[in-house]
Amino acid sequence: MGLAEDLRDKFKNDLSPELLRSRLLWRTARRLARSRWNKPDWRADIVSLSFFLDRTERAFTGKGTVVWANLLFPPELIHAVGACAFYPEMASAVVASLGLAPRFLDEAAAAGFTRDTCSFHRTALGAAAGGFYPAPEMLFSASYPCDSASHTLNYLAEKLGAEYVGLDVPAHPDPVTLDILAGQFEEAALRLGARMGKRESQVLEGLREALVRSNQARSLLLDIGALRRERPCPLSGRELPGQLSMISAAFGTEDGVRFFQMLRDQIVERRGAPSAAAQEERTRLLWMHLRPYYPNGLADWLEERGARVVCDEFALCTWEELDPDDPYLSLARKVAGHFLVGPADRRARAMAALARDYQVDGAVHFNHWGCRQSCAGAPLVRSHLQNEGVPTLILEGDCVDEREYQEGQMRTRLEGFLESL
Amino acid sequence: MALKSSENDKRVGWFCAYTPVELIEAAGLRPVRLFGDGADSDEANALLHPATCPYLRACLAAAQRESGPHMLVFANSCDGMRRLHDAWKHFLKPDFCFLLDLPRRVDWAGVGLYHRDLLRLREDLESLTGRAITPGALRRAVSDWEATRRELRDSADGLEGVERVRRAVALQEEGLAWKPGDARGAAPQSGRQGRTSGVPVVVTGNIVRADGLLSLMEEAGCRLVAADICSGDRFFQDLGLNEAELEGLGVDGMLRRLAERYLARIPCPRMVDSRRRHEHLLETVRRTGARGVIYVSIKFCDAFIYDFPRLRAALDAASIPVLMLESDYSDQHEGQLLTRIEAFLEIIGDSMAAGRGQV
Ligand code: SF4
Ligand code: SF4
Repeated sequence: MGLAEDLRDKFKNDLSPELLRSRLLWRTARRLARSRWNKPDWRADIVSLSFFLDRTERAFTGKGTVVWANLLFPPELIHAVGACAFYPEMASAVVASLGLAPRFLDEAAAAGFTRDTCSFHRTALGAAAGGFYPAPEMLFSASYPCDSASHTLNYLAEKLGAEYVGLDVPAHPDPVTLDILAGQFEEAALRLGARMGKRESQVLEGLREALVRSNQARSLLLDIGALRRERPCPLSGRELPGQLSMISAAFGTEDGVRFFQMLRDQIVERRGAPSAAAQEERTRLLWMHLRPYYPNGLADWLEERGARVVCDEFALCTWEELDPDDPYLSLARKVAGHFLVGPADRRARAMAALARDYQVDGAVHFNHWGCRQSCAGAPLVRSHLQNEGVPTLILEGDCVDEREYQEGQMRTRLEGFLESL
Repeated sequence: MALKSSENDKRVGWFCAYTPVELIEAAGLRPVRLFGDGADSDEANALLHPATCPYLRACLAAAQRESGPHMLVFANSCDGMRRLHDAWKHFLKPDFCFLLDLPRRVDWAGVGLYHRDLLRLREDLESLTGRAITPGALRRAVSDWEATRRELRDSADGLEGVERVRRAVALQEEGLAWKPGDARGAAPQSGRQGRTSGVPVVVTGNIVRADGLLSLMEEAGCRLVAADICSGDRFFQDLGLNEAELEGLGVDGMLRRLAERYLARIPCPRMVDSRRRHEHLLETVRRTGARGVIYVSIKFCDAFIYDFPRLRAALDAASIPVLMLESDYSDQHEGQLLTRIEAFLEIIGDSMAAGRGQV
């Protein structure tokens, strides 16, 4: 049994905000993390686990200044001042994996949020309103990838009495608009720094260090990307350990560097001795958007059929090396250059390039209910991919709300798709 | 980019109230707001996910059926609108398709970004028409639009409800060709001043069709004393710009002014500062003596879904009753909606009679 299941079984029924602040929970979690039973398949997962446990414990027990941010907000800026970065969307994924999302989704519904919005955010709204997420000092959102994040964080800031700063990322990056975004980052960093009692020079020094570490992790992530292109792919989507969350949250930290270093090294080790699933690799898939986070059998089922996800939209390095001497402009370039910013043909072209690079046989676009930015762009992305000769399946579902999960239906659609390849 | 649509067709379709019609006008083109035709939008399903704003899907479906306009300016106001732009551009291949970036902040950063994109729009319009936009043309367009908006306000003075919204919609659809008598589907000059009896109510929301939900509200017995909606009263606001203020400015300077003024309007719920909008609504309720608010949100509109709980809290605090209705834009479930509106009116009628405000 994994750590998540252990924790769920121990605490699920009496999980309360008080429990999350109790020493007992965190002692138990750390003990379980260290126990000899916790032997994840990928060693790097020990680093990601301790990274998240450490930050979450600090956040809940009041030992750090908590800053909330959304997926495209650069973590380097938060780590630079030594604050605890908390990503509510990712927390919702964890909540879903523990089977706790329905409870918070119901609470969000009771507060007036219809089920027509993204369940990552509805879970966050329900959990935050009930005091299950650590109280923030500040909340930052970049205006991409989705509107939902800006609305949720803005709403919660008011509800929780914290400061909200929304950053407008230009849809059309050019020297003028990048400069304006850089100015917004500078303002945000100095405002956060001031709350933490840091002078501008200290903020800049922190940023310099964070950017250097971010670059180190970046080059390791690029190595991992290159390794995943091989046949058979040494790290499939099913095994993708804490990578996704580490990309969003850990860039700019020592743990981030260690994590990607260990992951890269272990992939290299395993190249010579591919896993049974790797040896069975018959169909290579590109997976777009995310997957269901609650316990489900879809990933195993795919691998049993020799279908392996060799490339994931959210596990990529999408930015150039950062310049530690020009942190704000670097971060502006990093964020505004992401293919999820602006018109969807940017994303479509990026997906088509990935399909070529990773030599995939087909692509799956997971339409997470309520995610306007991705679902509404899916037909266009599919059209680009199909023009490149990459058959693409659009699969409807929900990543967080397990009550919406219909594995039978999904399998039937996937089965038909795999056969057609 | 070459101008492919017929030389006589100078229409440029637009969708969001933050679109600078003045700039399109100054390029010698004719800005017309698109509303779709309210008919079935199922044919848009293949291009735009069914869980996307039905207003946007209605516009796309209408374009799939009809032939024009072939020039479009989309504002990047929400995920759905951006994707509408993407789908339209990719699948319908119009002659001109511009995505105008729209910030959420209204401070230096917001103005800077919006201004920058107005400059980009200017460049693209110039290369479309092959003619430079001169300071004189822009100044004239700004002042003509300001005058027309004021004319609209004057002509609609005392006019309420559906009739008032029809007039605003006519101006948006006709542009400067609009004349004070214009209102598609309006009763001929019978002196009708909109419904003047009934329970006074303020309606607030995004795009609400005059011939759909608004008519239904009147039928149920509402007297719509204000329509704080994207296609209605919000369009009565002018920018407060006059020719003298623009005197001596080049196109760039004038576009900066436009950027500042557009962003300074009462914000729509997509903007960061929702409080100003809520205050404005409370003030409207007080000023008009309305007994309640009907909040209409188009299905799948995140901006409004997230706005409602906050607005409801503000209204509750002021003891103003509110009814939330969700519209699919075609407003075909009339019976159900009518019953809900009638029940609401009954309650607010009773509660006011009993001196209570809360429902
Ligand atoms: S799933 Fe879509 S709407 Fe939800 S958080 Fe992710 S990008 Fe935003
Ligand atoms: S109504 Fe909402 S979803 Fe529709 S265009 Fe306006 S902001 Fe976007």
